Parts: sequence; structure tokens; C-alpha cells
Amino acid sequence: MQVELSEAQELFRSSSRRFLEAEAPLTVVRELYDSREGFDRAWWRRAAELGWTSVLVPDRLGGGTLSGRPVADAVIVAEEMGRLVAPGPFLPVNVVAATLAAEGSDEQQSSVLPGLISGELVATWALCEPHGRWDVDAVRTTATASGGDIVVEGAKAYVEALGAAEQVLVSARSAAGLTQVLVPLDAPGVHATLGRSLDATRRFGSVRFEGVRLPRSAVVGNVGEAADRIAQQLRLALALQCAELVGVADRTLEFTIEYGLERLAFGRPIMSFQALKHRIADMTVHLEGSKAVTDALADAIDGDAADVERFSSVTKAYVGTHALDTVDDCVQITGGMGVTWEHDIHLYNRRAVVDRAIFGTPEEHKHHLLSLLSTSEETA
Amino acid sequence: MNAQETESVEAFRARAARWIERDLPRWNDEHVETRDLQRLLFDHGFAGIAFPRAYGGAGLTLDHQKAFYDEATAQDRQVPTGNRVSIGMLGPTILDHGSEDAQLRFLPPLLRGDTLWVQLLSEPQGGSDMAGATTRLTRDGDTYVLHGSKMWSSGAHEADFGLCLCRSDWDAPKHRGLSMIAVPLKGVPGITIQQTRSASGLTSDFSEEFFDNVVLPIEYLIGEENDGWAVAQTLLLHERNTVGNIGYGYLGRRDRGPKRMFGGEPAMRSLAAARRRSALDSVGEAIVETYIESVVAPLTSTRVMAGLRVGTHSGRWGSLTKLQSTVAAQASVRTALAAWGADGVIWDGEEVQYDNVGTTWLESRGGTISGGTNEMQRNIISERLLGLPRESAPDRDVPFSEVLRNARRV
Repeated sequence: MQVELSEAQELFRSSSRRFLEAEAPLTVVRELYDSREGFDRAWWRRAAELGWTSVLVPDRLGGGTLSGRPVADAVIVAEEMGRLVAPGPFLPVNVVAATLAAEGSDEQQSSVLPGLISGELVATWALCEPHGRWDVDAVRTTATASGGDIVVEGAKAYVEALGAAEQVLVSARSAAGLTQVLVPLDAPGVHATLGRSLDATRRFGSVRFEGVRLPRSAVVGNVGEAADRIAQQLRLALALQCAELVGVADRTLEFTIEYGLERLAFGRPIMSFQALKHRIADMTVHLEGSKAVTDALADAIDGDAADVERFSSVTKAYVGTHALDTVDDCVQITGGMGVTWEHDIHLYNRRAVVDRAIFGTPEEHKHHLLSLLSTSEETA
Repeated sequence: MNAQETESVEAFRARAARWIERDLPRWNDEHVETRDLQRLLFDHGFAGIAFPRAYGGAGLTLDHQKAFYDEATAQDRQVPTGNRVSIGMLGPTILDHGSEDAQLRFLPPLLRGDTLWVQLLSEPQGGSDMAGATTRLTRDGDTYVLHGSKMWSSGAHEADFGLCLCRSDWDAPKHRGLSMIAVPLKGVPGITIQQTRSASGLTSDFSEEFFDNVVLPIEYLIGEENDGWAVAQTLLLHERNTVGNIGYGYLGRRDRGPKRMFGGEPAMRSLAAARRRSALDSVGEAIVETYIESVVAPLTSTRVMAGLRVGTHSGRWGSLTKLQSTVAAQASVRTALAAWGADGVIWDGEEVQYDNVGTTWLESRGGTISGGTNEMQRNIISERLLGLPRESAPDRDVPFSEVLRNARRV
């Protein structure tokens, strides 16, 4: 989240925070731990009313950016969600909404998009395959033209909000190249296996597509031309994820400092010990760096910057590493209470661990960066 | 028993090996409960191998104990791991500090597996500062009264006795007003034990114990009244030994037996199999990390500058960017040393050269020192930006001669 917000953005931030504090405090997050979908549909419709599902969609399609920089708007919500480890399919719904807004057919824009914006419908996206990578080159699922239809065959994994979603945007390979298909989850041949994750409220699952035959109109964009769009989806997901991780680290550091000022040992608050103060200082450096690089990624996406791909990997490598390290350091500072169910810090630990793992680990992004650096050295 | 009568370790090992082969169940056999396993050892003279016979032990040494459990490991047999705390920590502490009466009262049932023991040291309000215990022990005629609560006691919900560190003299200095007393944990009025649920969602082995004016016999005191800190030190020594798998707590190698998720070769093999594409060698990783810092540090400065302009950040945030950029700069030269190796520090020609990595390394050392050392920057960030307590300054409001005298005493 930028240091300088417009008036509309500031209102968006404060209303989102108030909404989360009132309607999804940590007590509610704990209650949702045992629920199937991990969020309440009526609650999600109220969240949608705040604009959570519309900033990446242009005005003419029923959405509207607040600042002319849609991703900079969206990361405001993501960061607030991180601060309260909030439930809800914010990320997948926004990824699908942005895609349909950019290149959905008239029919998709009129029959699916309004439901996503109002919160009536939930859609998710599926890029990664079982034990695979979040990488267009790793897509093996196929979408094959057959008469007037398209047939999807293959498997996807780590699909967020699968149990709640009505539709899934599938990245697949056709003879002409990468293709995206919007698949209704109740279509014949779709086999969803619901799963859970370490996160308290975020549910995932895997899907098999066995000869799923759909009308050609299920294709999003042009057959064979989806590679760039998929890469954009991944970058958007990384920006939202990193903003969420910033919120997670920021809030964890806040309540850990508060705790350390209250907790007494050897006749003084533990936060007066230099060993802890210096750790806190280092964590603050990493937090400020994480904020800076996440904002810069949002800017790079909004501005369609040339080096946005490299930048998204830098952001995930940095933020993904330091957010979890910060939470982990805070667990250490919290002491024994930090490893109990009763203390909220494990809710933050859970979110940070899952976010670190999906859309590429920091290690995978570093590997990617190393190959980019090595390539540019050779061509230089 | 005198030295001549003591069985040699080798003779003992041979005798133990025969018994182990015949009577001690394998890990693959049905699991035997800790108490039953301890009883089995006791009935055959293999419990408390290094404890005196008078207290139910075998009257041998820690070397004999090690021989026994090495043999159990070699033959892949079950050992009473659930009793490690009683046998390795509490029993030896009672042996070191208990009165004759306490030793006769508590040790035989402990070695027989009849009583499981736990330590009751940490409190909800004090973990590291153990000597700050506030659980109260008050003498009342011929009894003691215990009041307060303890936490982080492993296995207390199953235990029969705890050794409890409590405050018996509130006027003495911190470490000199403590006592250690044995507390029966089952069927005693005034005791509530609550298991702690761990962050994973599982019920943990830890619990919290509440003592509401629990009446205890005077004979349950271990060590002298107000000498509890010495007893606690002994207990911590035995705890360190047991955790380190030496001394009274040695029960053979730990990578044997069931449920070895994270230790031992099989676990390492499965980790190796689960490893995903870590083609990063360490120099490559250092290069990427240097690159990442080189992107993030300037962005952070830009952000702080923007914050200065709009008022979200103060001038003191310069400490943060100074710390960040100097650490990053030094790390980048360290990476260069790794990448260049000998070529970075040795050159042809007799002239001294300065355009090499080695010179940059020497030059870069000043960055984290000049302009206020990075340690001072961390103080500023924590104190001035975040409002954490200032470092104590014993030199404030004190004559300088006294400051110097006092400083040498720190």
C-alpha cells in the first residue's frame, strides 16, 4: 500500500478495515476453522458491496478503479486482509474477474462477471498441476477442439476456494498454444476433490477433467493466445499475495511489540532487552522493504512496465522469505504462548506458510531470477 | 556395595543382552505402556541402573546404564521413553537433594513405574525468568500450603507427582527465597490441571496447573527451605543432560523406534525424494539475493522519501535505510569474494592494485561502522521509531568517579 493514498483509496482502506474488524475478527476466523468453505457467502456479498471485487473491472462492465491504477487499489484490500488473516476468495475471484473484463466474450461478461462483482458467484483459477509449478511452460492439461466443442482433459491442483466456486478458469494447451477455458464445476467429467490447507480458513482442492466437453463459447480469449494472459494472472496473484504477506508481517510485529512491552522478566519489560530490540529493528527493515517492493510491483503491473516479470519474482522472493521469517521471529519472542492454540500468532503463521508456498516459493523465484541473470549476462 | 563386588560393565552388558533378547519387546511388537515397561525393567533389576539399591536401583553406574540401553538399541527393543523425565531428571534431583526420608518415600515407586513425575518450574507469567516464581509456599504449623499456578509442564496431566519451585520467603532476594517441594497431582483437593492446545491444533503434552491452597506434608520438601534455587539448578542440569541424551536420561539412540518423522536416515531419504528443483547452488543463491537487495534497498529509500514528503515518516527513518543499504552493500562484496575466489585477491605484476574485489572488501567494512554503527542504528530504530524502552544508562545523574567504579562492577 502506497504511503500516499488518494481520498477515495483512503476511504476504501478505512472502510475495508472497519468491515473486517467488525465482521471477520479473529474470533470469527477461529470459528470458520471448522467450516467447509472457510467463509460465509452472505458475508462475501457484503464484502463485494465495499468494492472488493470491482476495482480491477472497468466502469462500463460494472466495476471501477478508484485511482486509475487498479492493482494499486486492489493491494489495499489484500494488505488489510493479511492484517486480520481474513477469510474469503478475494484473490481467485479478482484474478478471474480481471481476466473476463479484459478478454471475456460478451456472454461471459454479461452472464458471469456481474455475479462475481456482486459476490453471488464465486469463480477460481487453476494454473498449477499436481506436484507442478505455477508456470505456463508446465501446463499439460489439454483443450482440444472437437466439432463445435472444446474438450478439456487433465488435472489441476492447489485450486483455491474450489469447494465454494461455481466456475473454474482452466489454463490448458491446445494445438495452437495455450488456451483458457471457463469450466462450470458441475459439468460432466469434472471431478473435484476438496482439500484443506494449513491456513485456518483458506480451502483448496484438486480437479480432474475427464473428457469435459463444453461449447466453444467456454473459451476465454482466443484459442492458442493465452500465454501472456496467464503470465499476467500470475503477476496479479503475486502482487495480491505479497500485499497480504505485508499485512500479516506488519500486524504480527505490532502485537508482538505490544506484548513485549507488557511482559516482564528480570524486573523489566522484555522489549527493553537489546537482543530483542535489534531483532525488531531488523524485522522493521524487512517490513519496510517488503512494503516498498510490493508497491513497486503494483505500479509496474498498472504501468505495464517492461521488466514486470523479473520484478514479480524479486517481490515474491523478498516478501515471501521475510514475512514468514518475521512471523517466526515473533513466535520466538512470544515464547511458550506462541506455540499454543490459544495465542493468535499461529493464525498468522499459517497464512504466511501457505502464501509462501503457492504461486512459486521464494526459492523457485530465485532460481528463475538466476536463470534470467545468467541469460542476460550471455547476451550482454 | 564395595568396588570388588561391582559387576564389570562388560559382564553386565553380556547379562543384559541375554535378558533383553529374551524379555524386552521389540519396537515392532505390540506397544507396551511406559509404566508396564518400567515395571518389567524393575522386576528384573534393570530399572534405575545407576541408583542405589536401597532406593530400588541396581546400585551400578551410568556406564552400566549406557551399556544396557546401547544393547536395547542394537536389538531394536522398546525402552520407556515416556518415563525419561522421571528417570532422567526428577529421580536424580531427589537423589541429589532429598532427605533420606524423601528418597525412601519417593524413589522406589518412581523406579518401579508406579509414579510418573514432572517438573513444575515455569509459570504463566514467567518462563526465562524462572527465579521470579510467584507460586506461594507458606508454612502452616506442621504443613505447607501451596498457592499459585505453573505452566509448560510436560506430561503433567498423566503424572502422579511434580517437583514444584515456589516462593517461600518474599523478603529475601529473588534467588534466596525459593523452595522446592514434591506435589502429588492426583486426588488432591485444590489442584486443577488443564492441558494446553498447541498451535497445530493438537492437544500438546503441556499443561497448566492451578494450586488453590493445597495442603502438603512438611516431609515433601526437597532440599532446605529457601534453598530451592540450588535444587532447581540441579534439576536443570539433569534436564540438559536428558535433552542431550546423556546421564540418567540416556535410553539409547533416538533414531530408532516408531514415529521418527524428522530424524534418522529414512527421514533424510524421504526429504531428499520430496526436494523440489533446488538447483540453486550456494553462490548462485548469494548472487540472486544480492541482486534482490539491490532492487529493494533503493525502492525502500524512495518510499521513505515519499513518506517524509507526506508526513508518514520522520527524518529518523534514515537510520533504517542506512542499516539496510550498508548491510546489503557488504553482503554484495561478500558474494563477490565467493564468486571470484583467488582471482579477486591475487594478481600478476608487482604493483599494488586497487581495482579488485579484495580491495573493495576492505573498503566496504567501514560502511556498517561509520555514520553511527549499525548497532546504534538498531537502537535508534527500536527506540525512536518504534518507541521501545531506552537502553539503561547507569551513568545518568551519578558523579563520574562513581560511574567508573560502578561500571567495573557490571
